Amino acid sequence: MNDLILAFALKLHRSVRYRHLKETVRSLLTDSGNPYKKYIDLFIVFLIVTSVMILVYEVRHPLPEWMDIYDIYVVSFIFVVEYLARLWIQDDISERIVREYHDAKFLERPFSLKRPLKAAVLSKLRYMVTPAAIVDLMAIFPAYRPLRVLRIFILFRVFKLLRYTKSINQFVEVLKNKKFELYTLLFLVAFIVVTAGIAIYVFEAHVNKEIDNLFDAIYWALVTISTVGYGDISPVTPQGRAVSIVIIISGIAMISFATSVIVSAFSEKLDEIKENRIVEQINKHDHFLIICGFGHLTKMFLRQAPPHFTHYIILDPDAERVEQARKEGYNAIKEDASRSEVLSRFNLERNNVTLLAVTGSDVENIYITLTAKSISRHVKVIARASSRELVPKFEHAGADDILLPHEVVNNMIHIAITQPIMYKALHAVLTGHDVARIYEIVADRYDKMEGTTLALLDFRRFKMIFLGIWRDGKFVFNPPKTTAIERHDIILVIAKEVSMEYFDEVMKERYGG
Amino acid sequence: MARRSILIFGYGNHGRQIAKGLREDGYKIKIVDIDAEHIALATEEEFDAVEKLDLGSDETIASLSPQEYDKVVCVMDDEHYNVFITLSLHSLYPELYIVAISDSIHTTKKLYMAGAKKVIDMYEASAHKIHSILTKPIATKLLEDFILSKEGIAFMEMTVPEGSAFVGKHTDDVDFSKYDVILVGMVDLERRHGFEFMTTGHNHKIDAGDMLVCMGEVEKLHIFKRIVERSGRRE
Repeated sequence: MNDLILAFALKLHRSVRYRHLKETVRSLLTDSGNPYKKYIDLFIVFLIVTSVMILVYEVRHPLPEWMDIYDIYVVSFIFVVEYLARLWIQDDISERIVREYHDAKFLERPFSLKRPLKAAVLSKLRYMVTPAAIVDLMAIFPAYRPLRVLRIFILFRVFKLLRYTKSINQFVEVLKNKKFELYTLLFLVAFIVVTAGIAIYVFEAHVNKEIDNLFDAIYWALVTISTVGYGDISPVTPQGRAVSIVIIISGIAMISFATSVIVSAFSEKLDEIKENRIVEQINKHDHFLIICGFGHLTKMFLRQAPPHFTHYIILDPDAERVEQARKEGYNAIKEDASRSEVLSRFNLERNNVTLLAVTGSDVENIYITLTAKSISRHVKVIARASSRELVPKFEHAGADDILLPHEVVNNMIHIAITQPIMYKALHAVLTGHDVARIYEIVADRYDKMEGTTLALLDFRRFKMIFLGIWRDGKFVFNPPKTTAIERHDIILVIAKEVSMEYFDEVMKERYGG
Repeated sequence: MARRSILIFGYGNHGRQIAKGLREDGYKIKIVDIDAEHIALATEEEFDAVEKLDLGSDETIASLSPQEYDKVVCVMDDEHYNVFITLSLHSLYPELYIVAISDSIHTTKKLYMAGAKKVIDMYEASAHKIHSILTKPIATKLLEDFILSKEGIAFMEMTVPEGSAFVGKHTDDVDFSKYDVILVGMVDLERRHGFEFMTTGHNHKIDAGDMLVCMGEVEKLHIFKRIVERSGRRE
């Protein structure tokens, strides 16, 4: 038996498909970065809402059969599947077994399934007693028809919404921070209500015919302290009224206390919630920019950005600068980009992220570069350095491009003096003002461009200036017209935007892509 | 060709690099600064024309006779000085070609108002570069290398002299590939548009005084330049 389970575990553990499937399910259910999670969430919310609507409809109307079937079987079935899936992804039994097997072999102790199974079951149980899991389980119960009481468990389906709606989650999250204050308040209220309830019961149980038992008395106390005051039960003796006066006054105090606790909890957390929203928003894009530091350079950069340039986020540890950035309408959050926890919040691994380390300090920029690269090698880093001597350090840290603002201007001034005409041309080419821009034509963009000669591409017809080909990390300047295009070639041309668009159109037609 | 002369104000962060670069390109350079340390550094680095001056008054500036220089560069570390010097120079010699550096939009505006011909904004230029790196990394790197002649490929401007073999020809008829150069653009005096890229598709008629901007390997460019400047009967 042991062997059979072990063999099965080993097989599962090795199966790429199994692991892939599990990872996909996990990502769909729990990873907010997954683009399809949104649809699953929406679907479940739809099920919940319809299910509750049926419950309400049922009160006054006979239920058509299809609704019943939908409610009992479809909705409940999907919830069961969801519950089991969540339980499944909670822990990896096969991995535990395999690990135990290897450990046993290594330590030369007899292999036993007991240890890994116990650990796995414990881990699953721990998940099962979390509030979210309990709500999920309760939401399945109404499927059991013979017990009518269970119908009310449909309301647990409403609680399920908590999992799928972020704002409610955040509300709970915020209140969690004020646990101590809220518990104190609750305890105080409970104390006053019970005491006042007992008092009124002692004073009026014989006199007041509305008060039959202690429950009535406590109910009255709660209605009064909350300032709701239905009036269905009211004190008739002077002693009872005295008790009322005391609880009404303390009730006002309690309510204002509760209000202030909740308000302060929110005002403390508001910035954080906002920042989380911005981070989540940006993570949804598959390529975006993280700009570290909001200084002159960043301001200039954003000012030059094309319209609808929204795939960016600014990180700056300085509250004043962040405030300024927000005032100017930029997406900024107050965070220190040199901390790993901060950069880990972004999907650096999956998405196509470029990070600009452009703070005023070289030390900071190197540190940010290292931090980003230590989280993911995928992220592209453009760092600012104040002098040429620092370039090797930045390269060592892993920066992909190093920007030397001083050198950039020095070169510009040099060109402005030595080649004034070229300066203008260069400026135009780089900044892309109407006349001409430099373009990179990626040969792979077109399906069948490979093998075509330059003569056939006929750049002259499109009024483009052909400069050369970037091939295998080297630039081939102005190769002869008979040169054939190879895979991964990048063709450099100077052209007007319209020429480029027309060229693209014609090439797509001719070579496909 | 007469050595062109440049007057540089400031031998700080920028002045030093610019002066060295220009010296390599064979320019005659005069350096002026108010800071004794900068002056000492410049002297140490073998610039012969170095002067420490208090630039507060018009007389001291006039004593430099800036009108004799082709271009004046204002790259003091303190931007206030740049504006002040530009203003003084412009009021004394309105014709002067002044290039100045700036590190904010406000300063850029002031420098233009003060009379600078060309203002280079450090952050603006750098920000442009980031955009270029993001959208076309290879082109950006190459273009820079071309301009600084790092890859052995460069841009060159050449004026077509009277009597050149090219005078009277149309750009479409000239086979530039024969010389292994690319005609990127030109200043066609007839059209009065200033510099135009060839991307306009206009078939320019080359006249004496027009300026061609070509790109190619440095040696090939020099050869081509000689061909252009040679008064030709054949060709």
